[in-house]
Amino acid sequence: MLRLLATIRKEWQLLLRDKTGLTLLFVMPMVLITVMALIQDAPFKDYQDVKFDILTVDNDHGRLGRYIREGLASGGQFNIIDTLDGRPVTEQQARELVNNGRYKISIIVPAGATAAIVSNANRIVNDITQRMGMSVSLPVKKGADSMNVVIYFDPAAKKAFKGAIHQALDNFLTQVETDMLLDRIKQQLRNKEVQATPNDTLPIRLQAVGLKEHATGNSRQLDVVSNSVQHNVPAWSIFAMFFIVIPIAGNMIREREDGSLLRMKLIPGSYLLILAGKMLFFVGICLLQFYLMMLVGIYAMPLLDLPKLAMGHDQGATLLVAGAIGLAATAYGILIGTLFKTPNQALNFGAISIVILSAIGGIWIPLEVMPVNMQVIGRLSPLSWGLDAINDIYLRNGDISYVWKNVLRLVLTGGVMLAVAGYVEKRRMN
Amino acid sequence: MASIAVKELCKTYKGAAEATLKGLTFAFPEGKIGGLLGPNGAGKTTTISILCGLVKADSGNVMIHGLPQEAAHREQIKKIIGIVPQQIALYPQLSAVENLTYFGNLYGFKGKVLYNRIMHYLEVFGLEKSAHKEIHKYSGGMKRRANIIAAILHEPDLLILDEPTAGVDVQSRSMILQFLRRYNEQGASILYTSHLLEEAQLLCDEVVIMDEGKMILQGKPELLISALPECRNLEDVFLHYTGHALRD
Repeated sequence: MLRLLATIRKEWQLLLRDKTGLTLLFVMPMVLITVMALIQDAPFKDYQDVKFDILTVDNDHGRLGRYIREGLASGGQFNIIDTLDGRPVTEQQARELVNNGRYKISIIVPAGATAAIVSNANRIVNDITQRMGMSVSLPVKKGADSMNVVIYFDPAAKKAFKGAIHQALDNFLTQVETDMLLDRIKQQLRNKEVQATPNDTLPIRLQAVGLKEHATGNSRQLDVVSNSVQHNVPAWSIFAMFFIVIPIAGNMIREREDGSLLRMKLIPGSYLLILAGKMLFFVGICLLQFYLMMLVGIYAMPLLDLPKLAMGHDQGATLLVAGAIGLAATAYGILIGTLFKTPNQALNFGAISIVILSAIGGIWIPLEVMPVNMQVIGRLSPLSWGLDAINDIYLRNGDISYVWKNVLRLVLTGGVMLAVAGYVEKRRMN
Repeated sequence: MASIAVKELCKTYKGAAEATLKGLTFAFPEGKIGGLLGPNGAGKTTTISILCGLVKADSGNVMIHGLPQEAAHREQIKKIIGIVPQQIALYPQLSAVENLTYFGNLYGFKGKVLYNRIMHYLEVFGLEKSAHKEIHKYSGGMKRRANIIAAILHEPDLLILDEPTAGVDVQSRSMILQFLRRYNEQGASILYTSHLLEEAQLLCDEVVIMDEGKMILQGKPELLISALPECRNLEDVFLHYTGHALRD
């Protein structure tokens, strides 16, 4: 026990003397998570939170144009711009302004679009009433060509964004056409049923089954799923925790180079206890880092106009996961410190390997948006296990039963890394 | 009884073209100061590493104070041995007291007993005024002295020193050599390696000259010198047996 405690105290003294190292361990990660959360705030926001300007050119001046304008505006997602410098926007202007990127999107409602819809509705009503033996003849445009509402997108617009706009406009068109058709059917029925009261609107409801979103777990969790703080704070905290490999590897190599490792090995008693003391200390540092960064997520992020971090409800599970991440990171540092001969080698390999493991492990971008093969590889990264486990707690309101598999993976990986380090060290003796 | 007895020691490192030790045999009596001398590449450091149990020999035997250097006796042997490595095996960012407290704790000493022992040795080595100064602020000689204290905190019966006076000033060297003599007078055995043959001649009761992994000569310095009429000192004897060719 004395060896263990003495080693923890010695590591603490060494860390306190290394002011630069201390800054790197605690301040840099906090800066990192703040910067990443700020940078990725916009892309992580829902389209509902972001307002786009839409240039609209209404050459129709009818019901369709009005429907589209009102429909887009009512969602709160778009600013409808139909005049520039006090003049109505022209199609030519709209095309140029979108093409040069000043606007993301422009919608052109062609002249006669409402009339075309009305004509089409009349044609259907005429057809139905004739089949029903009624003699109704609503005016129908003869020889009308099909007509299109034209959309111009910024060439840099994302496919998903284009798809969403297409979908929305398609809905408006369908809705206008359906409304007009129903209006005409209702009118004809009213004409036939003269006994009906004049104000009878004959309510016809087309949407018998609607859509409503529900949370899978605790309903409180749903609104924290997709924001930059919720992704970036845990993700980059795990990334920063893994950077503990640099001081650990440096510490191990220095001890080997300056002979203090040799001195420790020559002292009676198990070297494993010294190593355990070192590990405990650095796992403690990782935990301190983790919780400091969570505090930044909870208290500092809102000051920067970012959402507040929500840490889920099982703090015991969070501690367990953070400890397991710290253990895996520390073991990785010991392995690197054992494998490499110089601090430079360890620094370069350690830093680059963590960047790679974090990139494939979903720290930079979620695993789900990666190609399938990369997802398979990414699931092998200890950083992805850590992030999955944290997401289970923070986003899915999970407890230990959700995270134990990833915790076990992290602990076992740490164990394997330590065993490899031990084997290499033993081989070095021979 | 011999403090160190080495018999037919062989060692070839993996990937090495040539064996480092080729049947090295020597013994030093208990309670004496023995010198292990040899040019660069002679195998001194490998021999010391095997004596301490840090490196395994391919074949041969090592006995430390009558105990075979094997896994079964390693812990016992560690208690007997104190080693002063060539490097300053101390944490530069920590003070002498902090370093020595840590290594003392590893030996199982703590509290006042340890503190008093640390302060005693710091005084013996003239470091009491710099006890709380960080090691990286020490001069070369001060570092060497602190390095020795870390090896004797548990007061070992056998002290092994690998070039303990390399790069130190005359005053520090004199203090170190005086201490080693006093420590030896208290009954401890000392094994010492150095390239400073004048120093070895003054300090050692007996020396082993080794080259290319083998022992080529062993005896008391004065006897070795007198055996060769053309040699005036140990350095002449050393050059006589190991030659003038440069060793890289």
